[in-house]
Amino acid sequence: MPCPYLWNTYRMMLRYITRRLLQSLLVILGVTLLTFLTLHLAGDPTYLYVSERASQEEIEATRKKLGFDQPLPVQYVNFLSGLARGDLGMSIRSRKPALDLVLERLPATLELTIFAMIISTTIAIPIGIISATKRGTGLDGGIMLLAMFGQSIPSFWLGIMLLLSVGLQLKLLPISGHVAVLDPMLKGDISTGLTNLPDALRYLIMPGVTIGLFSLSRNARLVRSSMLEVLSQDYVTTARSKGLSERVVIMKHAFRNALIPVVTMLGLEFGFLLSGVVVTETVFSWPGVGRLVTNAITQRDIPVVQASVVLFSFLFITLNLLVDLIYAQLDPRIRLE
Amino acid sequence: MFRYRFVLLVLLIGLLAVVFPLITVAQTPDENTLIIAQTVDVGALDPASVNSRAEANIFFHVFGTLFEIGDDGVLRPYLASEYVVSEDGTEWTFTLNEGLTCHDGEALTAEDVAYSFERAADPANAFTGNTAGFALPAIGYQGMRVDGDLQVTVLTDRYQTPNLRLALISEVYIHCKDSYSALSLEEAGQKPIGSGPYRFVEWVPDDHITLEAVEGYTLRPTNFKTQIWRVIPEASTRVAELIAGNVDVIANVPPDQIEAVNNSGVATVQAVAGTRRIYVGFQFGENFKDAPGYDALQNTDVRVALQYAVDVPTICKTLLGTECERASSMVNPPNNNPNLEPYPFDPAKAEELLDAAGYPRNADGVRFETVLMGPRGRYLNDANVVQAIAQYLTDVGVKTTVDIRDWADYRTLTGPKEIGPMFFLGTGGGTWDALYDMADLSSPDAGTNYTNWQNEEWFTLWNSLADIRDPEQEREIINQMLEVFYNDPPWLLLYFQPDFYGVSNRLDWQARRDEWIVIYNATLK
Repeated sequence: MPCPYLWNTYRMMLRYITRRLLQSLLVILGVTLLTFLTLHLAGDPTYLYVSERASQEEIEATRKKLGFDQPLPVQYVNFLSGLARGDLGMSIRSRKPALDLVLERLPATLELTIFAMIISTTIAIPIGIISATKRGTGLDGGIMLLAMFGQSIPSFWLGIMLLLSVGLQLKLLPISGHVAVLDPMLKGDISTGLTNLPDALRYLIMPGVTIGLFSLSRNARLVRSSMLEVLSQDYVTTARSKGLSERVVIMKHAFRNALIPVVTMLGLEFGFLLSGVVVTETVFSWPGVGRLVTNAITQRDIPVVQASVVLFSFLFITLNLLVDLIYAQLDPRIRLE
Repeated sequence: MFRYRFVLLVLLIGLLAVVFPLITVAQTPDENTLIIAQTVDVGALDPASVNSRAEANIFFHVFGTLFEIGDDGVLRPYLASEYVVSEDGTEWTFTLNEGLTCHDGEALTAEDVAYSFERAADPANAFTGNTAGFALPAIGYQGMRVDGDLQVTVLTDRYQTPNLRLALISEVYIHCKDSYSALSLEEAGQKPIGSGPYRFVEWVPDDHITLEAVEGYTLRPTNFKTQIWRVIPEASTRVAELIAGNVDVIANVPPDQIEAVNNSGVATVQAVAGTRRIYVGFQFGENFKDAPGYDALQNTDVRVALQYAVDVPTICKTLLGTECERASSMVNPPNNNPNLEPYPFDPAKAEELLDAAGYPRNADGVRFETVLMGPRGRYLNDANVVQAIAQYLTDVGVKTTVDIRDWADYRTLTGPKEIGPMFFLGTGGGTWDALYDMADLSSPDAGTNYTNWQNEEWFTLWNSLADIRDPEQEREIINQMLEVFYNDPPWLLLYFQPDFYGVSNRLDWQARRDEWIVIYNATLK
């Protein structure tokens, strides 16, 4: 006989997850419909797949070949029935399954996104804490000033400045390009992935900083304000009055509670970073999903755009669900209701 | 306080310990490697599906063609050594060189050439792009006939001027039957098995393609063992890589960065007058009859007047970063009509002609209003050029509003000719034949007659060319047609788009006018 409390918690969690998954399905459907309509209402994509000198007959033939001669609702229903079977169609440009194309590029984007997240969280948390504990000092002011700059600098400008200064003038890091780590590892070739790692890090630093700086700055400010709020709580005063060292007060009593809004932000952060990679991938010639999607939109390669949208929506929703579950674990006062 | 400083010191040392070993000076290409940077990646590597210049540049090194269009516009033998044309001009029989092979070792024979054409034309393969969508229909392709091991005939439905037909046939990339029959379409698009001077090694999508010289290839030189075609979409990054010495050739140097490249001491910019004709089209289609300015623009005198209103050399100098001569026709030099002078910039004359045409300035100084549509991101500095033209027209009293769209949207409008009453556009051209350039207006309803121009004299003369076999007589009619075009202009004539290539100083290589990057002949200085 399982413990009634645990059983009840599991049931609640299961119900919560099921409800969130159902909601997610609706979100994915909505997003795909919007994407589909936007791409089609912007004009007949057939013209992007014919020579400028193609005759009317050739244009008609191409329209039929690509299936754009069918009414829009029929095309969308075809897409949905494919989606239900896990078939997101073939890329018009490359004649490969659209989902495969996206999955091929995903490791490069994940490398960049994960690296940026590591930079933004590992640096933001300590400097946020230092800033909060040194509130009102010159150090606090300096950190917050830098954070404000970090949030204000457009990523395309920062990227170009970095590559011109660090890459071209100082020749410290490669200007552009990519060395794969995750991709060989995911294909089972762990040793190649590890061998590539030092080189890959050289290529990662500039795009990682470019994409992560905004998040770093925002997270530093968030940690600072969250810490300040917690540090003013009665239980922190009590801890201090008990004679605990400042390190124990901050790390054990204050920091864990200050972390709650930061964890919430991390879930959203991933989506933000994914959407931010488009510009950074272009500036640094990074062969990730961002560039794939940009090109697919430009070329109206609709299956590829749809596959990316479905995959990104799924990733974003799953991560946020995980964050919600972690959130409940961090703060027992929160229930999944 | 001490503890925090200690923590910061440890963090700093840790960071340096990670970063320091990573720091190395970037590697420059060695003497056996040539690195070229293009702006976009290939979509696929199927030789029958050429959808972009980036793809054509790769194919040109991996695959051979029957003849080759040289940088001077001259067609030279390549896989084929000679050709014979039947009396009625519909059958073209090519003789292949002996001992040809594809990169997998398969002997390349007439059967393979026939297969290359048939595979591209096969509707079941649903190929899009230049070969299936333009080159084959344009020659009136009917099929192939294998006449022997080395003799193969291209069958067509009509006579066509020889240079034009040979140029179009030379756009079909030859591949081997056995190799490709064994591949699915998906496989064929990933790992090409070629017949040209370089063999395919690797394609990392959106990153690079590596090609390796075929040992013992005698038809074309292979001066570098390895070619790496990188994809660098951002112009500043391409320029930085060139100046850093990491790439040898880059395409599309932005005009504002030419000086930086030339001052680098590492590379220089080659500016070539490209073959792409840039123009403003006047829309004659009835769909636009209610659009502002439509009626006025139907008047030939108005269209001629507007030619004098735009200062094309200044646009070239200030917005395109180079000197240029204004186009006097739709045909690339040296094939244009030598008697036609480019319209000069003379706003006073433009105003005079507009007055005479019955469009005087009103109290507000406006003669009539109109709209100029244009793309962003397709042609060199296109959106800015459109705005400059609109201002020139407004200055002579034709109040012009601009409507600028992203290229993908714009292309979906140009296709069904839903652009107007004026629109900015470019169209590819060639150096080998005037008729290739003029084929944009091959009939009133031709897909590329975006203006819906209906000039009877032009189309009558065009149709008369079908019966002409004498080159001199053909030239005479072409000149006559270009005069018709000049005097009843469907286009506001602008310029041949300049192209800028950044080339490493270690390299001896000359960029072409027709946007192709053909680099097998490059050498180290």
